[in-house]
Amino acid sequence: MDKNILEVKNLKKYFPVRKMGKKQYVKAVDDLNFSIREGEIFGVLGESGCGKSTLGRVINRLDFEQSGDITFLNNVISGKSYKSDKNFRKKMQMIFQNPYDSFDPKMLIYKSIELPMKINDVNSDAGSRINEIVETMNKAKLTPAESLLTRYPHELSGGQLQRISIIRSMLLKPKFIIADECVSMLDVSVRAGVLNLLLTFQEELNSAMLFITHDISVATYICNRIMVLYAGKIMEIAESKDILDNPLHPYTRALVSYSPIISKEEKKRFRITGEVVTPIDPPPGCRFASRCPMAKDICKKEEPILKEIGKNRKAACHFV
Amino acid sequence: MTAENRISLSRHENKLTKSVKMYLRDIKGVIGLFILLVFIVMAIFAPVIAPYSPDTMTDDVLQSPSLNHLFGTDHLGRDLFSRVIFGTRISLSVGFVAAGLSAIIGVFIGSFSGYYGGATDDIISKVIDTFLMIPAFFLILIIVSIFGSNIMYIMLVIGLTTWPRNARLMRAQALSIKEKTFITVARSTGESNMRILFGHVIPNGIFPVIANSALQMGGAILTEASLSFIGLGDPNLTSWGKLIYQGRPYMTYAPWTIVIPGIFVVLAVLAFSFIGDGLQFTFNPKNKGEK
Amino acid sequence: MPLLQMKNVDINYRMKKNEVKAVRDFTLDINERDIVGIIGESGSGKSTLAHGLMRILPRNGYMKASEIKLNNKDILNISDEEFRELRWIEMSIVFQKAMSALSPVHKIFDQMYDTILAHKPQVSRNEAEEKLSKLLEIVNLPKKTLNMYPHELSGGMMQRVMISLGLIFNPKLVILDEVTTALDVITQGQLLDEIKRLVNEFKLTVMMITHDVGVVNEVCTKIAILYAGELLEYGNVKDIIFEPFNPYTQALVESHPDLNPEGSTLKGIPGILPDLINPPESCIFYDRCKYRKDICKNGKPELQDYKGRKVKCFRVGELHG
Repeated sequence: MDKNILEVKNLKKYFPVRKMGKKQYVKAVDDLNFSIREGEIFGVLGESGCGKSTLGRVINRLDFEQSGDITFLNNVISGKSYKSDKNFRKKMQMIFQNPYDSFDPKMLIYKSIELPMKINDVNSDAGSRINEIVETMNKAKLTPAESLLTRYPHELSGGQLQRISIIRSMLLKPKFIIADECVSMLDVSVRAGVLNLLLTFQEELNSAMLFITHDISVATYICNRIMVLYAGKIMEIAESKDILDNPLHPYTRALVSYSPIISKEEKKRFRITGEVVTPIDPPPGCRFASRCPMAKDICKKEEPILKEIGKNRKAACHFV
Repeated sequence: MTAENRISLSRHENKLTKSVKMYLRDIKGVIGLFILLVFIVMAIFAPVIAPYSPDTMTDDVLQSPSLNHLFGTDHLGRDLFSRVIFGTRISLSVGFVAAGLSAIIGVFIGSFSGYYGGATDDIISKVIDTFLMIPAFFLILIIVSIFGSNIMYIMLVIGLTTWPRNARLMRAQALSIKEKTFITVARSTGESNMRILFGHVIPNGIFPVIANSALQMGGAILTEASLSFIGLGDPNLTSWGKLIYQGRPYMTYAPWTIVIPGIFVVLAVLAFSFIGDGLQFTFNPKNKGEK
Repeated sequence: MPLLQMKNVDINYRMKKNEVKAVRDFTLDINERDIVGIIGESGSGKSTLAHGLMRILPRNGYMKASEIKLNNKDILNISDEEFRELRWIEMSIVFQKAMSALSPVHKIFDQMYDTILAHKPQVSRNEAEEKLSKLLEIVNLPKKTLNMYPHELSGGMMQRVMISLGLIFNPKLVILDEVTTALDVITQGQLLDEIKRLVNEFKLTVMMITHDVGVVNEVCTKIAILYAGELLEYGNVKDIIFEPFNPYTQALVESHPDLNPEGSTLKGIPGILPDLINPPESCIFYDRCKYRKDICKNGKPELQDYKGRKVKCFRVGELHG
């Protein structure tokens, strides 16, 4: 039995909003339960506003939950801030969406890489820190390393910056990586380099990864399992092949059918109407009910629970 | 180790040269910088440049400008050229100290307020707004009339009443910088708030404050000159404003006693304003694209 | 009969000391009723081309060409005045950034009516309202949308409004400039379905600028591959996506996870875009091409007709004979 590295129980994150003077809540992340195994790449798939980025930020302690438990490496981390706890920060690292914005524009690249190492006592000697950085850069085929390291962020391309930000995180040797839409701003031809580098390090460090994305093709390429979120709720969790080839939940089916996946076969749309709604004090029942072509009365009254369907597979729908 | 040294030196120089080149393209900025340099040289080497001691009285009172006395003499027979040169010291120091103080306070308060946000920001913003409403010149008048005119008070009060503008600039910068991903990266790699504030937020947001400080230096010199002109300057020190004040009774038949120091005040204000504009031009991201 | 004929189009941007040659020697005929996907990554010049055609380049940009004809009518050597008369009426463009294209303080109707007036001042308010509500119905928006403000619309609705605005005068050619890029997957899919339907209903010819091969695969009939300002391959969508001839096209297609053989490592394109200020005299993709040979260094390959498509590559006969 594989050990879990991260366990999330009943996690909730609400954002207060004022509407017509009344205080309401955007239920960005609402009652999530899942766990990630050691060494596993776990995808979080969803459209904008589904709560996938909020989830990543809460787990990384950049934001704090309303309620719920997060257990990481057998420690309960929910309820704590870990503002500058070296041991925690070293173990969990996050890669962000915008590579151009991930580096202090006033700092040389090597300073930006070195600073986290220095703060987290990864390598106490300045000289060997530099050596390690140069070595890792070479390994990632970012050459000539010395020249790249002595530039400013605006002098590098998006692909280079994103690979360097991966290196920056990996030099801390994290046990868990959160990648938040880390290739969505890059051209297709440079995505592969970034994804493969991420995979190389993940394998080498045997770390687990939470891979947040809206792109089902990228998700199925990189992830072992995928969790589909809609309006703050889990719709389905399954192995990535199953999500792509045999989606069960109506939302997943719609998502897969509307994705511009390139294939020789004609595919049929699983038609749904309407657009994503922000979950501001949502009505009871299934969050997807208002758009679901299969919805019945029960869907608007009773919220479906996330139930086990076969091996490694869960879905939250009354009719699955 | 060697790599590190090689790294930082060559690159930093490079970026600095770029900025300097950028600045030198702005002709007004160059003029301003030139005037300021002349003033600084005058202030530092005053005893060498001045042909007479500024306080030696002679019988040649109110002489018009001549080869002997380049700017003429005042009502006590003192050489005006030497007095203007020594006055540069006082006037420039007022500018630097007052604007420097204003910049330091402004940067700290502004960045703190913008970065922390929330209730901290609300309270500090209200304080900044309150300070902005205080008519600085009258506050100085009150302080001077209560505590007496001492150049230290004057510099302090100018500094303490002009920081809100800097604080506002810095706060706006901090508000936008803290939303950048690299700040989130810093947090997620375990940098402390103080480190983020001093290591990222301030270095990235300070340029508008620097440009504004150049303008404020000119402003401080002008304020001090105004105070001196109405007789509230430091009685023990001779600034340009003081020279104008002293020449005032004789202006009808010895106009040089007020015109010449007046020109210097105007030049200083102009120089600082040119420099301020030049700096803004240099650090304006819109001009970065055209290398 | 080609609707749009472009011959040797060059578009440059003047910089302080030099010029960026963003589009070079672009020659292409677009036939009536074709839906052409213009594919390219950043720096390929795809948007520049569209903006050049519509004469809406930024100040420092200018276009040269030996011929541009719309419906057999010269639109290259006509004055801006004359051009204004056919812009929007014979060809229109829809942009990615709908939010910034609409003023936040005016109702949708007023803004659409303004566009009508700009081209046909004689149209009355009532006529316009009738016409616009019909148009909105066609793009599946309720009539009340006319009385809404831009911020009340979602991204998908906004793009529908923009598309209907582009169709006001029944233009023959519509340029869609990254219209679905900012949208969510499902919204994008719905809009693409809509576009497919409109193309048939209005008998449109479409130039669809995008970076997403998947999107082109869904709606387009033809695909044009742009790289660093040059057209490298043009032909039927399925032919090119599933059997690319040009090495860049092949590398681009292989970068898509969908087309990557299961279990194998995804390949990207190593290297960087060539310098567009002094573009190389060789084949433009030479530096990054895995099939390059010495012959590729000498001069530029011609865009040649080959097996029913247009390909620019010295070695195409050899590699795909």
